[in-house]
Amino acid sequence: MPPKEATEKVAEDQSSFLRSTRKVRDFFSIPAPVKQLFDLVPVVTYPPNQVPLRAPKPARIPSLYVFSKDQDAAAGRPSFNPSCLKWQTFLNIAGVDHRLVSSNNHSSPTGSLPFLLPAIYGSNTSQDSLVPIASNKFVKYATEHGGNVEESSTMRYGAYQSLLDHRIRNAWLYTLYLEPLNFSAVAYPLYVSPTSSNSLVRASISHQLRAAAEAELLKHTSIIDTDDLYSEADKAFEALSILLGDDSWFFGNDKPALFDASVFAYTQLLLDDELGWREKKLCRALRRRANLVQHRERLLVRYFGGP
Amino acid sequence: MLELHVWGPAFGLPSLDPHCLAAIAYLQQAVPRGKWQLIASCNPALSPTNELPALRNGDIWIGGFRNIFHYLAQCSAGEWVLDAGLPEQEGADCIAFSSFVESHGQPLIDLSLYVSSQNYTTTTRPLYSALLPFPLPYLTPPSIRATAKQRTAHLGLSSLDIDSDDSSPPPSQSIIPKSLRRPRNTVSSLLAASPEASAQIRLDALATAFLEPLEKLRAKKQLFVSESQFTSLDCLVLGYLSLMLVPDLPQPWLAQCLKKKFPSLCTWTEELRKTVFGPEVTVHDAFLTKLGDSELDLRLKRLRGRGHLPWKAPDDGGAVGIGSVFLGGVADGIPVVGQLRRNTRMRQHGGLTTEDGVESSSFQYLTLIAGLVAGLGAVAGYMFHQGLISFGEGEETREKEMGGGLGALGEAGAALGFYASQMDEQVRRQRVMEEMNETHGAPVAEVDVDVEVERKPL
Repeated sequence: MPPKEATEKVAEDQSSFLRSTRKVRDFFSIPAPVKQLFDLVPVVTYPPNQVPLRAPKPARIPSLYVFSKDQDAAAGRPSFNPSCLKWQTFLNIAGVDHRLVSSNNHSSPTGSLPFLLPAIYGSNTSQDSLVPIASNKFVKYATEHGGNVEESSTMRYGAYQSLLDHRIRNAWLYTLYLEPLNFSAVAYPLYVSPTSSNSLVRASISHQLRAAAEAELLKHTSIIDTDDLYSEADKAFEALSILLGDDSWFFGNDKPALFDASVFAYTQLLLDDELGWREKKLCRALRRRANLVQHRERLLVRYFGGP
Repeated sequence: MLELHVWGPAFGLPSLDPHCLAAIAYLQQAVPRGKWQLIASCNPALSPTNELPALRNGDIWIGGFRNIFHYLAQCSAGEWVLDAGLPEQEGADCIAFSSFVESHGQPLIDLSLYVSSQNYTTTTRPLYSALLPFPLPYLTPPSIRATAKQRTAHLGLSSLDIDSDDSSPPPSQSIIPKSLRRPRNTVSSLLAASPEASAQIRLDALATAFLEPLEKLRAKKQLFVSESQFTSLDCLVLGYLSLMLVPDLPQPWLAQCLKKKFPSLCTWTEELRKTVFGPEVTVHDAFLTKLGDSELDLRLKRLRGRGHLPWKAPDDGGAVGIGSVFLGGVADGIPVVGQLRRNTRMRQHGGLTTEDGVESSSFQYLTLIAGLVAGLGAVAGYMFHQGLISFGEGEETREKEMGGGLGALGEAGAALGFYASQMDEQVRRQRVMEEMNETHGAPVAEVDVDVEVERKPL
């Protein structure tokens, strides 16, 4: 061992001068073994993989993903979920052409429906133009794509919107998910049955749905006060009915707008006999307001081709 | 005699909850003096809806602001009603804006008084400690804060709560020595020192979205809905606005926004607050008993004289009452038990028919039983698993110890092992021979000799 070390040291000393002169040049060149390796492995860019066959095809018109039955979606009939129906109606009102795709929450990037997959225009299919649009950007999308959007900005807008978003929505959550009769008759076939045929999975999903509705209601009160929920919803319908008055559309507009769509989302579903409501307390409260019923029929005829 | 139970006074206001303030204002305006009393309570479980304010009329308990004013209209046969006789449109506005104030005002109060760590620790929590008897301050404020956080979670402003913030890594992990590190006084780090500052824009937008429609609704009127008629909406707005404006907080973004942008709402709140709630209310006013005995009667008389609000000393049921409230709170915090308690409360209050009860509870019992069985199974399985492993391991090591005994001695061990195997070989050979001898009788002697010869060198 020691002799070998010594010879190495000598060789090192001799070549050190030579090496220092070459160092600058070597610094910029690729070391030979690395170069050989790189020559052996050329960089090849493969074309992108094909999308699976069952993936949605890029469409010429934007696709709106909503809760719906397949045949209803194909026919463009109203969705059975209030927030989906609100935006579906809004797009119809704004005149944005779209097709419906029956879907569920798992398909959405935000975790909730509806969302809109924009259309592909011509050949410039850049990645940006295919980003799904969440429902809170629909108004912007509609204005950018030639829809006629009119926003009324009275001080009453926010107040009456809060009636829909809280009072009526809470009563809706209760009557749909927590009234046992309605849950088995209406919500179960719409939300639970299509997801699975396994009874265990169904039981767990229906439990989850009811628990989520309960948690949502318990956020604002410490217990769920049924009488209060229904009486507040009744008062809310009363207030909306007074607000509408004898006008055709809310806030005295000459054509419907987003607020009309928001009201329609609940009135359509509560007045739709095909859903088969069993506990009709909320439906009765709505039917007592004749002008709200007529408002719903006007929209149904105008944008969904009649009842 | 009606008794109104509310959360106790704070910030010079008779209560620290907006709905309690609204209820006080409503009774103050609607119910004649001498027909009602105000009690600072600490037990929301008294009310059927498990919340304060709660109204007690003999044996009847009514919980929640809305239920209270509906009940007042009922029990007085339409006499103690504030909203009666409003024109149609104004009635509708009253309903709509009540919902608006509740749904948009509550998150602001939550953020300002409970979610914001600094405001909560320096102001709100000490207030509750002053109001509640001994063990309750450990339980009630955190649970109220937890619900406030839950309610405001969708706003994405949880950064105000710096207790839960652990995003910044500890600086000790850096390899740069302390003396060489630059002080990082960037804009964002300065803002991060106070989360309220960085969220300022969002908070201001939230507050403005709440206050602007209110200011427009009031416009030049004396009150919110009509010129002269005090309505339930005015009660609610007064409750919320005074809790936004009056408290002196270390992070005063809400009061600042109110003062800067909506001065007319501020003056309205200040004036109405004085006429409805009277002069500053202190904890002593509410509890009466805090004063010395000798002074008590004097003080009481003076209170009645100037007293704006008919306070009555609370009867919290002594140690037993407080203990039961405390235990109730603890039980509500335990996962399964708390859920069951909530369900029973709901069923009692909702008055569900037996059929519904059976249907919903059968699933609960099923899940409960399934959970129990699964839990027991898991525990048993775990124990079995653990037991098996320890048993198997013990056996293995013992075997290893026995087998590797000689190997562990190194070269000497190897030599010994060789020797031992040779011995084994010999013994085996011997045994084979013996067997052979047994089978063939004749060559016994020869073999014996042979064996003896072989044995000698050893």
